[in-house]
Amino acid sequence: MNKNKLKEFIFSLCSVMSVSGFEKRAEKPITELTAGMFDSTLTDAVGNRIFIKKCGKQNAPRVLIDAHLDEIGMIVTEVCKGGFLRIANLGGIDVSIMQAADVIVYGEKPLRGVIASTPPHLKKDDKLPAFSELLVDTGLSEDTLKELVDVGTPVGFAPIYGELLNGRLIGKSFDDKACAACALLAIAETPGEELAADVYVMLSATEETNRLGGVAAGAFRCDPDYAMVIDVNLARVPDTKDYETVEMDKGISISLSAATDRRLSMATAELCRRKDIPFSLIAAPSSTGTNATTVNLVGLGIPTVDVGLPLACMHTYNEVISMTDAMSLARLVREFVCSKEIAAEMTREEVSLI
Amino acid sequence: MTSEKLIERLCSAFGPSGREEAVAGLIKKEISDICPNAVYDRMGNLIAVMRFGDTSAEKRKRVMISAHMDEVGFMINEIKSNGTLGFDTVGGINESVMAGRRVSVLGEGGLMTGIIASKAIHHKDKKEREKAVKTEKLYIDIGAADGDEAKKYVSVGDFAVFDSPFYTFGEGLVKAKALDDRMGCAAMIQTMRALKKQPPEGDLDACFCFTVREEIGLSGAKAAAYRIKPDIAIVLETTAIADIEGVDPSGRVADVGGGVVVSVMDRSTIYCRPLVDLALRLGKQKGIKAQVKRYVSGGNDAGTIHKTGEGVKTVALSVPTRYLHSPACVASMEDYHSQQRLCEEILRAVCSTEEI
Repeated sequence: MNKNKLKEFIFSLCSVMSVSGFEKRAEKPITELTAGMFDSTLTDAVGNRIFIKKCGKQNAPRVLIDAHLDEIGMIVTEVCKGGFLRIANLGGIDVSIMQAADVIVYGEKPLRGVIASTPPHLKKDDKLPAFSELLVDTGLSEDTLKELVDVGTPVGFAPIYGELLNGRLIGKSFDDKACAACALLAIAETPGEELAADVYVMLSATEETNRLGGVAAGAFRCDPDYAMVIDVNLARVPDTKDYETVEMDKGISISLSAATDRRLSMATAELCRRKDIPFSLIAAPSSTGTNATTVNLVGLGIPTVDVGLPLACMHTYNEVISMTDAMSLARLVREFVCSKEIAAEMTREEVSLI
Repeated sequence: MTSEKLIERLCSAFGPSGREEAVAGLIKKEISDICPNAVYDRMGNLIAVMRFGDTSAEKRKRVMISAHMDEVGFMINEIKSNGTLGFDTVGGINESVMAGRRVSVLGEGGLMTGIIASKAIHHKDKKEREKAVKTEKLYIDIGAADGDEAKKYVSVGDFAVFDSPFYTFGEGLVKAKALDDRMGCAAMIQTMRALKKQPPEGDLDACFCFTVREEIGLSGAKAAAYRIKPDIAIVLETTAIADIEGVDPSGRVADVGGGVVVSVMDRSTIYCRPLVDLALRLGKQKGIKAQVKRYVSGGNDAGTIHKTGEGVKTVALSVPTRYLHSPACVASMEDYHSQQRLCEEILRAVCSTEEI
């Protein structure tokens, strides 16, 4: 896969506004971005987006690749005096990064805004405001603002992308659309005849706000034989514990957890070893903290592996990922869906209870 | 060039206190057709003198107009073995606007991007989530793999500033870093242009000083004022205001859109009353929107200028600016134009009046 092509695709997909609960708004731009990449695509009632690529074989097994579509963001709770908006947190945003942030209010037409802050000349203590005390400054008069924005309007961070040293990318909502971009491009570039199963790539809804929401309905509909859930994983930074984090630039992570399928997880690790894809194993005892925990329990149960892309500054507008790791992830997705060994091992046997 | 474009170019330049060269170079080029003889003094202040009327006249008015070029920023004080950079602030910046922000670091090879980071919310306990992260717990991530790699690009003592895009938004507002005080610099440039086009009637030495190091304690203007020995000084500034929902009217200082702010008193100066009165009177006469600062807070170059030599009659004209010293300062273009016009009118008025 071409590195620059993947980078540009990540930037394009992550620029799309998909604040948790407002995934429907992303439908049109994502259709445009993925035109011609898949055999078919469908949406459902909760905002999931599913892309299908068939392997062309009869009675082929089905594999689901899930990455969540939604991003952290905000929702308008009040149009205040003086042209300000009060907002609530959609997904866990650290209030300490909010003041002075560039945001976009997605009303009838997108409006620029900045989060109000108190200057040092007038500030008296170092306490952070509660999220409900934050205000979006839209620069508009109260009357104009009332015409353009209603309570319930989504607000997102402004998409401003850049790069650090060593091919690290910075910007908003790599969590989790960067993973979605890796999966979409990897599958689109794999010739159908190489696939070991029919592939369903799902960009699932409402992970950030309601983990039992979107993905369960989508996985139920796809009814796969096995699944890979891809989400970002907390990168190791100063002041964090090694066992809770993964090192950046050292490849992807595979979770070992009571909440996912150990056989599939080990098979995926073995695949990485065989294909020289850098990875590390992490322990996530009773929950992966991702959609994997949910997918595993859908329908009759779906054997699921949880894969992570290391990401620093999670849940900010300047999330950091490594292009090297993104390339590793794209390679793993391709090898995973082409692996005849895994497909054979995971194809379900029909068991009659009576 | 439109005023917006001029302000955008000035605000985008790299210029924390002590490293104003890029801003000064930009301004020198911008005024080269009006004042080719603009000079730097030993401190790095850029001084451009425009002389009008009878240059041999004994009773000439000598006016210093000043705006500072520097912005608040950061200095790298440690290159850590893990490749991240420790830093401290240059000028007053609240910790609540630092975490998560993008910065430009000026290293050996030029500007590079970094992020002011700390651990993610997922790793913070309840107590840690309630307070801003202390500067010493924050670090700048430039993507370096380790300390050795970081040292190839950055050294202790290098500067950084916020990296934040300029844009116009809402009803006639602008958002940028460093509006404090690149707006004042822009107003000086446009005043110089206006005086060149239509010279004032009277014997006037207008000494335009683009000063350094205001943010760390008003230091550049002191040397400039000492050299110029003006009769009168006009300081063009931004002033921190809080005209937002939830703030009591008494604490708002001034209002965006309410016109240029004329200070009566702040924490460093009691302003020359006749000059304050002249400014307010001219505002009324010429239809320039002006408001009086309603709170004793802040300070600016006036604090050092007015005490220079035998004393200097000083007035400050400020653009009321929200979220000062943050990466996202917000001000109104209409207020900016009021500042520029009032400065120009005062210059035209003082050389033909005996009052001051």
